[in-house]
Amino acid sequence: MKAYKYLISSILTLFFLVGITGCDKYLNEPPENTSFTQQTDYTKSENMKLPLIGLYEKQNMVDLGWSDFPLISVRGDDVNAGGSGDQQDFSETDKYNYNKDYWMYNALWQDYYSYMITANSAMEQIDLYKEYSPDKALAEQYKAEAKVLKAWWMFQLSRVWGNLPIPPSSDPTDLLTVPLTSKDDIMKAISGWMDEAIPNLPAIRPNERADLPGGVTKYTAYAIKALANLELKQYQAVADAAGEIINSSRFSLEPDFYQLFKIKGKLNNENLMEMQYSDLGQGSGDNYYYLFSFFGPQGWTPKVEGSADGWGFWEPSIKWIKFMLDRGEYIRLQTSVLFTDRGIAEIKKDPNYATLPSWISNITPSGDKINDFAREMFCSGKHYLPTDQLTPGRVTYGTNKNFQCIRYAEVLLMYAEALTQGASGTAGSAAQAVNIVRARAGLPLLSGVTLDQVMDEKFAELAMEWGTRFFDMVRLGRINELSYEGRTFTTDKTFLPYPQNQVDQLPILRK
Amino acid sequence: MKKNLPRKQVMGWFRSMFLLLLAIACTAAFGQDRSISGSVTDRSTSESLPGAAVLIKGTSIGVVTDMDGKFTLKIPSGDNILVISYVGYERQEILIGNQLVFRIQMVLSKTSLQEVVVVGYGSSKVKDLTSSIVTMKADEISKTPSSQPINALQGKVAGVQVISAGGPGDSPTLRIRGVGSFPGRENEAPLYVVDGMFYDNIDFVSPSDIASMSVLKDASASAIYGVRAANGVVLIETKSGSYNQKPEITYNGYFGYQVAQNVLKMANSQQFTQMAMESGSEADKTFILNAMQRYGRSYIDPNIPAPNTDWYGEILKPAMITNQSLNFTGGNDKARYTIGGDYFLQDGIMKMDNKYERFNLRTKVDFKATKWLTIGGNFIFSNALKYNNYAGAWSDAYYAVPIMPVYDPSNLLATPTAYSNAQDLGYRSGQNPFPNMDNNIDRMKIKKLLANFYLDFTLIPKTLTFKTTYNYSFQSVDQRMINLPWFIGNSFQNPDATITRYLTNYNDWIWDNVLTFTKSFGKHNLTVMGGTSFKNESFTMLTAQGKNFPTGMEQSWYINQSTVIPVEAVNDNGSAQYGMSYFGRVAYNYKEKYLLYATMRADGSNKYQQKWGYFPTVGVGWVITEENFLKNNKALPYFKIRGSWGQLGNDKIQASDGAYTTYVVNTTMGGVVYGGTVVTNSYSELKWEMTQEFDAGFTAKFLTNRLSADFDYYNRTTKNAAIPVQIPLVGGSVLKPVGSIRNSGVELALNWSDQAFNGKFSYSVGANFTTLKNQATDLYGQDYIDGGTAEFRQRTYVGQPLMAFYGRQVAGVYQNQAEINADPVAIANGLVPGDFKYVDQNGDGKIDDDDRVILGSYFPSFIYGGEINLKYLGIDLSVSVYGQTGNKILNRKRGEVIWTSDANMDADLAVNRWHGDGTTNKYPSSAGLRKGWNQKMSDFFVEDGSFFRIQNIQLGYTLQSKNWLKGNFPETRIFLTAERPLTIFKYHGFTPEVANGVDNQTYPVAAVYTIGLNVKF
Repeated sequence: MKAYKYLISSILTLFFLVGITGCDKYLNEPPENTSFTQQTDYTKSENMKLPLIGLYEKQNMVDLGWSDFPLISVRGDDVNAGGSGDQQDFSETDKYNYNKDYWMYNALWQDYYSYMITANSAMEQIDLYKEYSPDKALAEQYKAEAKVLKAWWMFQLSRVWGNLPIPPSSDPTDLLTVPLTSKDDIMKAISGWMDEAIPNLPAIRPNERADLPGGVTKYTAYAIKALANLELKQYQAVADAAGEIINSSRFSLEPDFYQLFKIKGKLNNENLMEMQYSDLGQGSGDNYYYLFSFFGPQGWTPKVEGSADGWGFWEPSIKWIKFMLDRGEYIRLQTSVLFTDRGIAEIKKDPNYATLPSWISNITPSGDKINDFAREMFCSGKHYLPTDQLTPGRVTYGTNKNFQCIRYAEVLLMYAEALTQGASGTAGSAAQAVNIVRARAGLPLLSGVTLDQVMDEKFAELAMEWGTRFFDMVRLGRINELSYEGRTFTTDKTFLPYPQNQVDQLPILRK
Repeated sequence: MKKNLPRKQVMGWFRSMFLLLLAIACTAAFGQDRSISGSVTDRSTSESLPGAAVLIKGTSIGVVTDMDGKFTLKIPSGDNILVISYVGYERQEILIGNQLVFRIQMVLSKTSLQEVVVVGYGSSKVKDLTSSIVTMKADEISKTPSSQPINALQGKVAGVQVISAGGPGDSPTLRIRGVGSFPGRENEAPLYVVDGMFYDNIDFVSPSDIASMSVLKDASASAIYGVRAANGVVLIETKSGSYNQKPEITYNGYFGYQVAQNVLKMANSQQFTQMAMESGSEADKTFILNAMQRYGRSYIDPNIPAPNTDWYGEILKPAMITNQSLNFTGGNDKARYTIGGDYFLQDGIMKMDNKYERFNLRTKVDFKATKWLTIGGNFIFSNALKYNNYAGAWSDAYYAVPIMPVYDPSNLLATPTAYSNAQDLGYRSGQNPFPNMDNNIDRMKIKKLLANFYLDFTLIPKTLTFKTTYNYSFQSVDQRMINLPWFIGNSFQNPDATITRYLTNYNDWIWDNVLTFTKSFGKHNLTVMGGTSFKNESFTMLTAQGKNFPTGMEQSWYINQSTVIPVEAVNDNGSAQYGMSYFGRVAYNYKEKYLLYATMRADGSNKYQQKWGYFPTVGVGWVITEENFLKNNKALPYFKIRGSWGQLGNDKIQASDGAYTTYVVNTTMGGVVYGGTVVTNSYSELKWEMTQEFDAGFTAKFLTNRLSADFDYYNRTTKNAAIPVQIPLVGGSVLKPVGSIRNSGVELALNWSDQAFNGKFSYSVGANFTTLKNQATDLYGQDYIDGGTAEFRQRTYVGQPLMAFYGRQVAGVYQNQAEINADPVAIANGLVPGDFKYVDQNGDGKIDDDDRVILGSYFPSFIYGGEINLKYLGIDLSVSVYGQTGNKILNRKRGEVIWTSDANMDADLAVNRWHGDGTTNKYPSSAGLRKGWNQKMSDFFVEDGSFFRIQNIQLGYTLQSKNWLKGNFPETRIFLTAERPLTIFKYHGFTPEVANGVDNQTYPVAAVYTIGLNVKF
């Protein structure tokens, strides 16, 4: 009996010992399935562009962020919200009745600020790679590209909200201590960032870049510098920056205005910056797309059966259509507007427009027929991809189309305006610049241009795009233009109110 | 075997002796007697019960069992009923018939103090506990027809809130004493221990296999589980065989139907048309006209369209539920075993392939190999097949307009079935739930295996034992999600057939070694336990996707057959966690009068930076009725006060958040895919949440043990709570372990049981009440943390409940123009009659977001349950009720109107909208519903979620062993059950059981009506 007991006791002791000691080392095992940034190998210089590409992914945002562009650009007299009955607060914003609790305001703020934080992070990461990289100039170029993208988002936000904090680093909590910068100072800062970036960027067109096709270049930076200085009314700086682009002779307008906004417009010689998308040439499978459904008609008979329609937002205004008809425009009007029978009838109600040119119909030049639908009377043609240009098999509206941000036409017209405002230019006269644009649009050339003529040309050329009309009218104090079709604009409505959600989080916005 | 009899047994013995003498005196009077004999044992421990009274009913003939629990009795001729009783056990009555030998097994009565309950790594007598533990036994658990054992706890245990989940095979949410972690991160669940193995999800356990389910509520009970125990522990022991029992075959089965309850009435065509006409939106009026054009006009009223579809009626159906289980148990004096199988099938109430089917096999064997060694093993295998429903159907059916039929034959292009499309009428989306219901097939094959083996050494008999146990659990979930292609309209279609597979495996094992020492030194009784435990938990997951596979036959639904296999959809994930623990317990009592209890556990884990945590607890108790001044008090036979304090941990929190980590993204440039990286640096180290809990209470029995009361006051504070600290401007947040959350309240459980009419009729009435106050006590210097969404703000303030709803208060509705003109706020905001009047909280004459207040939270402040059990001869009836008050629900479905106004609404809102002066002061007008002013978060959307429910009614009849089949007729019980037959609530939704308070897609909780049969051979 005793022997048994000893046997048992020793077995037990064994159990305990194994139990206690054998397993302790497991407590130091690191977790599974993570990549440890502390382990990123910054000596691998070929990886230096990865953070930059990560930043471009923000610019080429797939599916999300569809509400950012509309909110920025809706308030001009060129375009109405559309989507009647849906997104009430968006319609109200178009009529200058703002609601600080509306989710779209908060979304735009969060989207663009998070992109800017990512830009700061990309620059920090590139600096870490730069330390080991043999090609320091390349590192500086990448950082400059990040600066350009950051400037674009800052520019848009400041036009919308005016005074804002500038994110200083990749840590968002730093924003809690940074003061508000006035809009003018933001524009000056943007101009300064471009001055820093310009020397480090390649002097080519974006579509000439072999390493990152469509990535930003020196001329993108000049264009943003011009845009920022235009807001500041620093017309000489505008003329100089735009002049650099013109004098490079690298850019030219796409001869076919209609095709400029379609597949032919992808990586076109006219583009200084665009958001890039692709369905990889396949009728199914992976698809990197912008949510153009927002702009699609809510009922159509497409040329390619089965192609999907859209949500019925973004309606060209009758005021703009009549303006274009008065100018005798054909190419630009036909490209920019998709008509419906109901819309045509509405125009004709005005005795001055009882007869319309015969080419105006609800069938687009590409053969898609737009049916009548309740939400709007016209659709934007600049955000429309004909169904015969869709990759066969793809049905979603606008699949494979890019979204242009800055075009050479805008650069030419900015240059022209700066000269009419008194600046001296080294890239030709204002009339020469305007005539390049007019020639492409099939209009007779002008011998000299006034400020009004340049602004009219801008109105005709850039409608439905990035809200330029609204911000130009505000800048020039032409507020009566912005009061039309039942809405009244007053200067206190220049900026949107800060989103309530942000005011809740950031004390500096409460002052 | 010699042993010392505890005091109560001796008392019983004396009392029975007296009766015996009496009986002997009377027996002589009768002639023509025969003898019966038998033994009386305790059913769960198989120990014999000496001194049990064995009587013939209605006579004074009887005996008392001897030292070995055996008896012999002469009985008169004729029908006789044998009554066996023993203090602390349930009385039994057996019809004698022709049977000569009886093996009687006594079951402890519910309120008995001799009852032994399972506590962590051991067991204890109820009377020796200083902790708050409630145990539910098999017969209670089996009253609830459900696949999930937790549902049986609803309303039965004070301090426990069970929120049912409607879908077949879905696990309900269990909260013990409130919620101690910041919600939304899936780390609030308690720990489940099944036969010693830790689980987060016990959906594989069949309720009919459970012998007992114990809820360990306070720190002194659960701290022995250390780093897992902060949210409470549920211990489940499955049934074992019994020693010295002849083989028994038990069949349990029920069959029944589930019927959706409280189906929400939606607006019909007439009401919907009315709302559209009053809406002020030309577009909506056009849609009505379009419907009339396409589908015709109603012949009742030519101004409304003909179709009048009740969408919920269309998608719901009564569904079948059944459970069949067969068990073999038995044992001799050396071994006991149980082997059984269980089949469960529950169909879902949605009209699509939606069901849960489970087949379990289990076996449990214990073998006394030698006098000092017992070995045993337990093996449960569960194989389940689950078809998940299309969750979007509940909101699709809510929003779908009634003016469109289900089918639209004129939709010629539609394949495979011509369902109607709301876009044909002009609406933004298709709305019809059926295309998705028909073509989304989400199948899960769930296989779970639990195995454990143990060796139990008796080193010094009755004093020192050592047990080593190895527990292993394997779970495999194979999920295949299929979306078949369908076409209804250009923007209402699914062009691609897609298949997604998730293969998930969990492999866990735990190795426990426990040494227990029990000794009484005179009046001092001491139990000391020490142990170690090592655990390894790992999980792997693989997922991949395919597109455009041949859809004709299910046999070809494989990624292998797909034409496109997207590379980024392939994913591989895994984790491995190790834990090492040392724990010990000391339980001491002096004369069973003064109780002292302490445990300590040290837990090590590789999950966090901080490797070791220490979790002590101490409990004290004083059994006042053992004191001389209260001894043998007839009115108060038992009264114990107890208190405990302890520290527990919660390691379900993730290891870190935010993270200074890199993730990979892809974009296209020039039509070519480029890969890039994004680095985020909101890194935050997390650690265990520590919960400190204090509990004080008393247990009392009054009036000869007929009335029992259990009272507890609890106060739990979670320190290092992982709370989201807002990342400003950018949105989102990062978890930091810096918050503090408190849950406190009182629990009271009362129970009265008695008999009447000479024991022919017995009844018991029970009630339990719980109050809960949940609040955040520290938010790292932040005044509040925002949660929810910007439009439906939930805010956690210091001193207020977590995630409380935060918005405006509606004062009423503007009834006429005069009211508008009199109110500067109305004029400033361009309001019209039919718009809401809000309360100006800060009195600044403006209504804006500064006028928001806390509107309530989804935690109930008061939960109650009650139960009545009646038993008369062979008939038994039990009714239980359950209710809660104080909780609010956000009617998020009504809130969808912010984004899209072309949807249907519930009938109450449609009928009672404001449509004229004096019509209502509660709801806005139809046009008002679309105005941003009326869409602000307010108590219009936040409704009262209180409810009262009749939880369960069960009526059963036990067929006594009669002279059928020559006395071999098995024990049979037939029963009818109605589960959740009636729920009363005010909330405008299907069910008030919304776990986190935001009602979006809640699966209705159905009433279940079943008929069942228990047979024991």
